[in-house]
Amino acid sequence: MIKAILIFNNHGKPRLSKFYQPYSEDTQQQIIRETFHLVSKRDENVCNFLEGGLLIGGSDNKLIYRHYATLYFVFCVDSSESELGILDLIQVFVETLDKCFENVCELDLIFHVDKVHNILAEMVMGGMVLETNMNEIVTQIDAQNKLEKSEVRMENAIIKEGSQHDDNLRMICSFHCLSFSITL
Amino acid sequence: MVTMEVLRTCSDGQIKRRRPGAVAHICIPSTLGVSCDCTTALYKEAEIKRINKELANIRSKFKGDKALDGYSKKKYVCKLLFIFLLGHDIDFGHMEAVNLLSSNKYTEKQIGYLFISVLVNSNSELIRLINNAIKNDLASRNPTFMCLALHCIANVGSREMGEAFAADIPRILVAGDSMDSVKQSAALCLLRLYKASPDLVPMGEWTARVVHLLNDQHMGVVTAAVSLITCLCKKNPDDFKTCISLAVSRLSRIVSSASTDLQDYTYYFVPAPWLSVKLLRLLQSYPPPEDAAVKGRLVECLETVLNKAQEPPKSKKVQHSNAKNAILFETISLIIHYDSEPNLLVRACNQLGQFLQHRETNLRYLALESMCTLASSEFSHEAVKTHIDTVINALKTERDVSVRQRAADLLYAMCDRSNAKQIVSEMLRYLETADYAIREEIVLKVAILAEKYAVDYSWYVDTILNLIRIAGDYVSEEVWYRVLQIVTNRDDVQGYAAKTVFEALQAPACHENMVKVGGYILGEFGNLIAGDPRSSPPVQFSLLHSKFHLCSVATRALLLSTYIKFINLFPETKATIQGVLRAGSQLRNADVELQQRAVEYLTLSSVASTDVLATVLEEMPPFPERESSILAKLKRKKGPGAASALDDGRRDPSSNDINGGVEPTPSTVSTPSPSADLLGLRAAPPPAAPPASAGAGNLLVDVFDGPAAQPSLGPTPEEAFLRFVCKNNGVLFENQLLQIGVKSEFRQNLGRMYLFYGNKTSVQFQNFSPTVVHPGDLQTHILSAPPALRSQVDGGAQVQQVLNIECLRDFLTPPLLSVRFRYGGAPQALTLKLPVTINKFFQPTEMAAQDFFQRWKQLSLPQQEAQKIFKANHPMDAEVTKAKLLGFGSALLDNVDPNPENFVGAGIIQTKALQVGCLLRLEPNAQAQMYRLTLRTSKEPVSRHLCELLAQQF
Repeated sequence: MIKAILIFNNHGKPRLSKFYQPYSEDTQQQIIRETFHLVSKRDENVCNFLEGGLLIGGSDNKLIYRHYATLYFVFCVDSSESELGILDLIQVFVETLDKCFENVCELDLIFHVDKVHNILAEMVMGGMVLETNMNEIVTQIDAQNKLEKSEVRMENAIIKEGSQHDDNLRMICSFHCLSFSITL
Repeated sequence: MVTMEVLRTCSDGQIKRRRPGAVAHICIPSTLGVSCDCTTALYKEAEIKRINKELANIRSKFKGDKALDGYSKKKYVCKLLFIFLLGHDIDFGHMEAVNLLSSNKYTEKQIGYLFISVLVNSNSELIRLINNAIKNDLASRNPTFMCLALHCIANVGSREMGEAFAADIPRILVAGDSMDSVKQSAALCLLRLYKASPDLVPMGEWTARVVHLLNDQHMGVVTAAVSLITCLCKKNPDDFKTCISLAVSRLSRIVSSASTDLQDYTYYFVPAPWLSVKLLRLLQSYPPPEDAAVKGRLVECLETVLNKAQEPPKSKKVQHSNAKNAILFETISLIIHYDSEPNLLVRACNQLGQFLQHRETNLRYLALESMCTLASSEFSHEAVKTHIDTVINALKTERDVSVRQRAADLLYAMCDRSNAKQIVSEMLRYLETADYAIREEIVLKVAILAEKYAVDYSWYVDTILNLIRIAGDYVSEEVWYRVLQIVTNRDDVQGYAAKTVFEALQAPACHENMVKVGGYILGEFGNLIAGDPRSSPPVQFSLLHSKFHLCSVATRALLLSTYIKFINLFPETKATIQGVLRAGSQLRNADVELQQRAVEYLTLSSVASTDVLATVLEEMPPFPERESSILAKLKRKKGPGAASALDDGRRDPSSNDINGGVEPTPSTVSTPSPSADLLGLRAAPPPAAPPASAGAGNLLVDVFDGPAAQPSLGPTPEEAFLRFVCKNNGVLFENQLLQIGVKSEFRQNLGRMYLFYGNKTSVQFQNFSPTVVHPGDLQTHILSAPPALRSQVDGGAQVQQVLNIECLRDFLTPPLLSVRFRYGGAPQALTLKLPVTINKFFQPTEMAAQDFFQRWKQLSLPQQEAQKIFKANHPMDAEVTKAKLLGFGSALLDNVDPNPENFVGAGIIQTKALQVGCLLRLEPNAQAQMYRLTLRTSKEPVSRHLCELLAQQF
């Protein structure tokens, strides 16, 4: 079973956290920090598996992670999952994100918390893998987008107001973004 | 590491253009600028400020009169989610999210469900509303809504949800008209509910239909169904037995299909890798298939997978080989699980052998891990052993500590008598450079292997001494206790051990653990090497004493015991040693333990005759054999799962013991805690005679011959127990036959208790056996009670028992003393609470009024405080109260409370695991004859418990 899925950047800032076991809010944050601490000190080119930290449940659990440019994708799993299988799953997840966001970068995860969660929900449910077929997942997400768009069209007025707001913002933060957009 | 082909940035480094559409506007505008880059405290502060502002804004929006439109609701809920992700508490918005659930719009419903699955805990009021919305959506027949609802159930998975929906979901799962995506979700939802509360999921006729989902057209449905069945069949293997043949045929179809057959489920040229892995996992829940045809088909599959591993890869991409190898490793796991096909096992072993030298670190890691389980199979143990050089090489050269750790595990698993010396010496060599994180584990492993496969014990002693030399800091008590046990129990090695430690101690710098082992062994067996002028008694003594001043108190205490043993062994050293004991630095040592030892040993050596000395300081008797305490420790370290793997390592029938008693046997697994092993090492018993029994007179007050009725004299046991809360010495129990007196002392988290059993009759007690059971987190071990162990107590005699007590954690229930004996043929039994309460481990703390109030305020959570108002049971005398509070263990603080009538105290409870700070205040009200007692501690149960205890004293 997958116990948690965490994404954080090279500085340990969480970009997504999804827990499939009930942990208190404090513990969730501690787990993120602990996991970041464990994963970030590892060299590149070492293996992608390590024993889980104490908070997530100790050595019966494994952390399986991949590091893409500025982001770490970490899956905490128990012994019933195949390590390489999970590694593939991370790849599927990232490829799906890439398809849905057209060249995904860290900012997408910030701006579209809901979307990322929805994509993840199409893949993993209650800690078990729901679907591994990328096309299937993308189809589902596209269908959702269509639904959204048709609903949004009815709220045209609000969009205008919103987009203005959004544009202002982008100017404010574009300076910050330079430093952490994902590079190849 | 994988390539980064997927994540690309825009070429000019600028933020790329958002796609148009509503979603793009639901960003987290105001938090973004700061939250992205908070490496400095300045940013952190700015972030918090910004977020608080944003939260206030959202709150006012939610509370405002103007009804929010759907888009804004969605925007704000999204912001809350992001703020929560950054680690800030969200204490509102739940209601808004619940409202979104009943919206007709998909987007709103979706965001509502998202918020709830991330943020809702079992808040009962809301759960009812949420359940209502879910119920509507499940009944809506709109597959999208149904999926959202199922997801929410699976993500929250609380018991309330289980109660509400466990019965409905199987119906949805097997309904003929459910869409594939709904079936998929329903299967996993059911799985989640079953895991959370198995009792809620009713088994029924649907189970058979679930098994048939393995034949479903849609691979996603099959994947979900396999997960569900794998979990359900653990509990009811027979109900799901039919899944074996279905799984085998499904697997066979996938394995033999061409890489293009399964279209979308082909991942980098590998057909349905995830499903294959899941099917192989499912099969590991069952023994090999009984049906010959099914078995044949399965073996064929397994062989095909093994064959495919040898084929050239269809793609150079790492994803291709990952997927292929995921199936391969799962296949090997299944082969190991069946453990019945020697041919396949050896092939698996060879395959893993190839991986051991693969350039992919992941594969080397997994190969080492799988081989560990393979090593325990008798068919492949020998085949695994052929890879020993590769594994040793991995231990030396791998860059990744996780891989090295697996290599160490594998060496441990493949070790047997034939290669023990090589493996142990390699592990020792590795230890010099090993990572700190795994040193202790390696030390334990070396210690176990050295003991288990020792052909001659001199090798064993050498190995352990080497261990101490190389990694002394990581050699735990269990390890050096164990070497002492073994040396004590085997007289063929004692001389060698004495000689070796003597040589080891000559090193200019040696580890304190070495001094401990050396001190103990020379004290017991130094006479065996005393004949050699190079290690004559004075030389031995001066060598040990040269280390004395550099050692900790515990080691010095041990050395003092060694010195008194020397006086017995070598009378010629008596004068020198008495000189040392008499020195002011010993007799007036600030440490009570050292001082007491010095005084007692000095007196013993000058008062006692040689005979008495020889009896008191007789050689230690052999230790009873039991499970190696080291093994127990390693098991504890690795957790329950790994413990069986450790034992598996010794399935090898040839390895059975010449080392008697070391093998763990089921009957001895529950032996007392390891630290009870070496009686007397932690603090050797004072050999001085028991305090001349002042009680001897009153023990014999009365001799009634009334074996039938023995009413307690004086206070009832409960009252007696309560009296001991504030004092340490006195009579714990008395009836017409027996009196039990207690004398105890406590220091930090340790305590020592002397129990005196007085036989008040003129008839001998037979089979007298007092035993102590400690239910809680208190570790008691009976230190030295030879007289009490004698099973008779003569009429009018008194025997003494010493208990050493260590408080590991805070505890509520005191240990129980149960005393059984036969008096005049009639069995007698009584059980008493031993007067060990948590307050015994109080260290009084003095502090100024200001500090007191500051701490008092810090402990202001409601659960940290316990208060009791009660009527005085005794006359209200300030002096008596003061004495009781001091006896309770806290420091009394004057001039803290403005009212001089009140008492204020402070102290720290010392346990091995933690310290609990305690503050107390007692307010007497003489007019009403009442007291109010308030306790604040950093741990809730402690506050309550102390309050109860103390309230009964006044």
